[in-house]
Amino acid sequence: MVVPELDTLVRPDDCRRTPPGECAVITTGLTKRFGRRVAVDRLDLAIPAGSITGFVGPNGAGKTTTIRMLLGLMRPTSGSGFVLGHPLKEYRTYLARVGALIEGPTFHPTLSGRDNLLVLARLAGLHHRVDPVLDRVGLLRRAKDPVRTYSLGMCQRLGIAAALLPDPELLVLDEPTNGLDPHGIAEIRRMLQSFADEGRTVLVSSHLLAEIEQVCGHLVVIEDGRLVFQGSVAQLLAARAPELVVRTECAEETLRLARIIEGVGRTARVLREGDAVTLEVGADCSWAGALNRLAMTAGITVVHLAQRDSTLEEAFFAIMGSDPRPGRGTAGDTGTGTGGGGGSGTC
Amino acid sequence: MLILRAFSSEWVKLRRRRLWFGAYGAIAGVVVLTTVVTIAGAASSAGHHPAGTLTLATLSRATGLSRGLTQSGVLLGAVALSIAAAQFGGEFSHGTLRNLLVRAPRRASLIVGNGLAVLSFLVGAVIVAAIVDIGAAVAMAQVRDVATGAWTTGSAMASLGQIVGDMALSVCGYAVVGMVLGVVLRSSVIAIGAGLALLLPIESIISSAVPSTARWLPGQLLDSLAQGGSAQASFGAALVTTSIYLAGIVVLALVAFTRRDVTT
Ligand SMILES: Nc1ncnc2c1ncn2[C@@H]1O[C@H](COP(=O)(O)OP(=O)(O)OP(=O)(O)O)[C@@H](O)[C@H]1O
Ligand SMILES: [Mg+2]
Repeated sequence: MVVPELDTLVRPDDCRRTPPGECAVITTGLTKRFGRRVAVDRLDLAIPAGSITGFVGPNGAGKTTTIRMLLGLMRPTSGSGFVLGHPLKEYRTYLARVGALIEGPTFHPTLSGRDNLLVLARLAGLHHRVDPVLDRVGLLRRAKDPVRTYSLGMCQRLGIAAALLPDPELLVLDEPTNGLDPHGIAEIRRMLQSFADEGRTVLVSSHLLAEIEQVCGHLVVIEDGRLVFQGSVAQLLAARAPELVVRTECAEETLRLARIIEGVGRTARVLREGDAVTLEVGADCSWAGALNRLAMTAGITVVHLAQRDSTLEEAFFAIMGSDPRPGRGTAGDTGTGTGGGGGSGTC
Repeated sequence: MLILRAFSSEWVKLRRRRLWFGAYGAIAGVVVLTTVVTIAGAASSAGHHPAGTLTLATLSRATGLSRGLTQSGVLLGAVALSIAAAQFGGEFSHGTLRNLLVRAPRRASLIVGNGLAVLSFLVGAVIVAAIVDIGAAVAMAQVRDVATGAWTTGSAMASLGQIVGDMALSVCGYAVVGMVLGVVLRSSVIAIGAGLALLLPIESIISSAVPSTARWLPGQLLDSLAQGGSAQASFGAALVTTSIYLAGIVVLALVAFTRRDVTT
């Protein structure tokens, strides 16, 4: 299978053009309704073969529902797709080459780790794979113990071992880092990288971008069942323009400057952290001189002026259309709160 | 092929020591209790008794050996139904079904193979019950001075064999009801509750209110099967009617299982 060059943002039209075979997963207009609620809304995915693709979205975005449709567990309401070159309807054919951990690991608590895997292995004639995959995730020594004695991290690893049973071309891991400490998350990331190094395609979901972003070459971001972004991490960063960060001698003047900047048609976001007020101006450093002149004309002294490139997290929230971090307005909004009171700074 | 694989996969779960002790222990307990109570409660042979009263003289015949087993049909059925419902409903409750279906996406074959495994486990339980029953009956015969000469004859063995067969059929019927409820209700607890409520209190209320319905109630029919035919229905009639019922609900469960989204 060929890894497609996804130089540009993959738009729905591109998805339809991508021939099956170049991507491990392609969907077109994939939709799932539960009664009146639309859980997945006309999703067009294109997951490059051989990539580690992060599948990111807040709780309830529709990640698990999408994954269940790809695995033949749920019937799409409408839309179509291909997995490993086979149409979604032929899931019985392609699932032999797919390993999955869906919505966290689930096992029989009184059975040992090995027996839990054996239940699955016997279904597909894969007995010989049980010990190798246990070894692979570092559980061989605890394989005889009942799963109810396992820690959460061990359960996640057993779930990954189960997914590895068929030596899969496509690994679908739904929230494998859920509930893990930073050390455990780093360990999962290392595993993901090693799976990709073996030539597998990895589709890994998380509601926290930061947990998986380091290893993902490709990202799919969904919200409310809809595709918000699809492309490489570099493209995600590029999706948000750089900003000028401006501070003046006091809060009052900063707010006044914000109004002046908006008066000339630029965006200026006000960020308050305690008494300090900072502006984020929608411009790059080429506009810094003009900004400085505007301030001087108004008798405002700028004490800090610098360009800042957005972090991945900011780019992510910009795309999601909301920024839950404290002290932040709605990202991408134009000039919020410039007229609002509350500035307590005194000159 | 997948049916065989599903059969052997299910046995990994069935060979849990807890389940063995739990299930076989419960069944042995039921049979011992029934046998002890039956033989202890038998009227001594002297004197006149109302028709149908079990006497020690009756017990000393060839069929006396398996008398307790015959009496424990409903209780064994209840245990079988519960185990089967727990085994199938548990896949939904535990959320482990989705893992099975990714490895074995042919849902009908998966469920048939798993179901056959559960049935084989329960047939084993009936054989255990028969062995336990023999022990309990022999012990009780000593206590009550029942003449056991006829118990070691060929006809005693034949009658025991037949009863084990009838009982196995009946237990399989109860188990199929349990599995169907597990699959349709998608929860072990709800399935066990619904199954026991339906077959025990609800049926006895219906049949005592309208006695003529007894010939058609599944629980009564399964009990008739266990006894090799009863006042309500002959063995043949019970076999035909339960087969039709079970075929119907199995088709229903298969359709539900293969068509519904897996959401747990
Ligand atoms: N079986 C179901 N019946 C009704 N609604 C459902 C069902 N499964 C999911 N939903 C709804 O579909 C939406 C998407 O849910 P889904 O589990 O796919 O989200 P998710 O992105 O996996 O979230 P999380 O990060 O919390 O796991 C939610 O609004 C959820 O309530
Ligand atoms: Mg989810």
